Amino acid sequence: MTNVKQKRKGMVSQPESPDCPKLTTFEEIKKAERRNLVFVSSIIITLLILGIFLYIFSRTYAKAWRLGVPMRPDAFNSILQRSIPALVAMGGSAFLIAVVSLSFQTIVDSKILTPSMIGFDSIFMGTQTLLVFLFGTTTQFFLNPHVNFIVSAGVMVVVSFFMYSAILRRSKNNMIFLLMFGLVLSGVVSSGTRYLQTIMSFYEFTQVQALINVSLNNVNETLIYMVVPLMLILSFFMLFRHRIYNVLTLGSQQARGLGVDYQKELNFNLILIAIGMSLSTALIGSLTFLGLLAVNFARMVLKTHRHLPLFMISGLVAVITLILGEAIVELIQGAVPVTVVINLVGCSWVFYYIIKDNKI
Amino acid sequence: MIEVRNVNQSYSKRSSKKTLTDVSMVVKENAITALVGANGAGKSTLLSVMTNILPALSGVVLLDGKDVRKMKANDLSKRVAFLRQSQQLNVRITVNDLVEYGRFPHCGGRLKDEDHQKVEEALSYMNLTDLRHRYLEELSGGQCQRAFIAMILAQDTPYIFLDEPLNNLDIKYSVEMMKILTQLVEELNKTIIVVLHDINFAAAYADHIVAMKDGEIYYEGPPQDAITPEVLNPVFDHDFHISNSAGRPVFLYYDEDDPNCEVCVS
Ligand SMILES: Nc1ncnc2c1ncn2[C@@H]1O[C@H](COP(=O)(O)OP(=O)(O)O)[C@@H](O)[C@H]1O
Ligand SMILES: [Mg+2]
Repeated sequence: MTNVKQKRKGMVSQPESPDCPKLTTFEEIKKAERRNLVFVSSIIITLLILGIFLYIFSRTYAKAWRLGVPMRPDAFNSILQRSIPALVAMGGSAFLIAVVSLSFQTIVDSKILTPSMIGFDSIFMGTQTLLVFLFGTTTQFFLNPHVNFIVSAGVMVVVSFFMYSAILRRSKNNMIFLLMFGLVLSGVVSSGTRYLQTIMSFYEFTQVQALINVSLNNVNETLIYMVVPLMLILSFFMLFRHRIYNVLTLGSQQARGLGVDYQKELNFNLILIAIGMSLSTALIGSLTFLGLLAVNFARMVLKTHRHLPLFMISGLVAVITLILGEAIVELIQGAVPVTVVINLVGCSWVFYYIIKDNKI
Repeated sequence: MIEVRNVNQSYSKRSSKKTLTDVSMVVKENAITALVGANGAGKSTLLSVMTNILPALSGVVLLDGKDVRKMKANDLSKRVAFLRQSQQLNVRITVNDLVEYGRFPHCGGRLKDEDHQKVEEALSYMNLTDLRHRYLEELSGGQCQRAFIAMILAQDTPYIFLDEPLNNLDIKYSVEMMKILTQLVEELNKTIIVVLHDINFAAAYADHIVAMKDGEIYYEGPPQDAITPEVLNPVFDHDFHISNSAGRPVFLYYDEDDPNCEVCVS
């Protein structure tokens, strides 16, 4: 299907003539799109399986070999027992981050802003610290990870909903403002958090550290079995609504003309995004550029605006990036954590975008 | 039936300058109403208010007796389709996909046979069948405009609002567009409101003229009464010259200082 053929078709407009080459039909285009999707998905699934095996391998046999000890089956089993929750947490979080980032980009009509870039995860961490600070001395209530999570997530949903719906209503088209806002917010929250942490008691401090200093190597395991099912539900709920996101890519005005209540969608999605960011931040910490990378990569390989394939591929790409990256880091015992690499590549991508289009 | 009652609108709350001042009108059913007026008269704003894209500050717009502000977005989009004055898309999609989105109010994005048929009809109405797989960004301005009009047609609503649909269309397609609108009214009983810049198109194809000036309806009536220098000179702040062609008045626009223009008046 080349442009030349299409142009011919436009001018001659006699597709039935026998000596004319058979022209691309709608079905063929759809088929090509589907073939592309199947191709991309099979590569991705292969990589995913590879990543999982490599991750387990690097934590077991590779490690044993490096230490010069044989791998005993019981030791293998016990490491496996610990690796599976970590894999589940990384997979669920990465998929959700990608899905949430894509829906956010569609809603605010930007290809580079993601929820973490405008400060969603900072709000979550700030809320958690503040709760422990305010109530920690008087009650053990908020030190229970489950309760703390639910309360922090609830507070975060309310706070971010009001904050961002107010901001987005006024300056949706002002990306620079949103970015600056996210930057300043993250700065304020992290220094505020650090300040609170220095003035709180040592016991509280260690508790807060346990809550907010989660990272890939330090997954919050107590929360996994509560949070991962919620992550899956939320991801699939958004996937299920892919048709509405498709219409929203036409812009808020066109979408309204086609019967989508834009303001309602914006509010509803902000709530979903806030929940999604709380879930993933609570479990594996903040991964600022993972969503951006995964979504843009999916857009690049799929070349479609349809959200069902975009959601699936960007979700899987995020999962692979995280698991494969983590596996490689463990394997080579690199000094650099995978999040640093992701942020580096993500930052470069934003840089490239800004320079290429000279806009945000 | 669409009825506009005492609508006021202004873009900035502080300034006293209103974009629409106490506008009231009843849209003529099963007819083409042409909205004419100078730039900035408030035509686009009036259409946005009527389609609830920009809810009125005061006053109401009633669609079959119901306030459009209280209607569900989806119900409204099954009754009213609106082609905006300018279209920008941030997304790379084909003509076919765009027109299919016109069916969204009816099928929520899950197209059935009936929806596919409406898409085909809309594409062939706008003569786009051959261009259906082209991306919008690869089309000329006029072809793009036709694609958006096809989307509006696929939406298949009883009320159609078009803000300067002849933008970017050459003479052939402008005439064809107006014929299609006439056909939609006659064959499918649609009600159409269309903003037209060319007075002669309004005179030739509209059943009813609404002339706006400075946010108010200056004159409303059938073309033979409205398309006259008495009405249009103040509306456009311009001295029109009129010639007759086959018994119909034809408006000539020209620069009074241009000596060559004597020729056209004859
Ligand atoms: N989004 C907007 N913000 C502020 N003022 C606007 C906006 N859109 C239109 N206006 C102003 O409202 C008036 C009417 O505009 P409009 O309805 O677009 O006129 P028309 O379509 O008749 O040319 C103009 O003076 C214009 O400057
Ligand atoms: Mg206008």
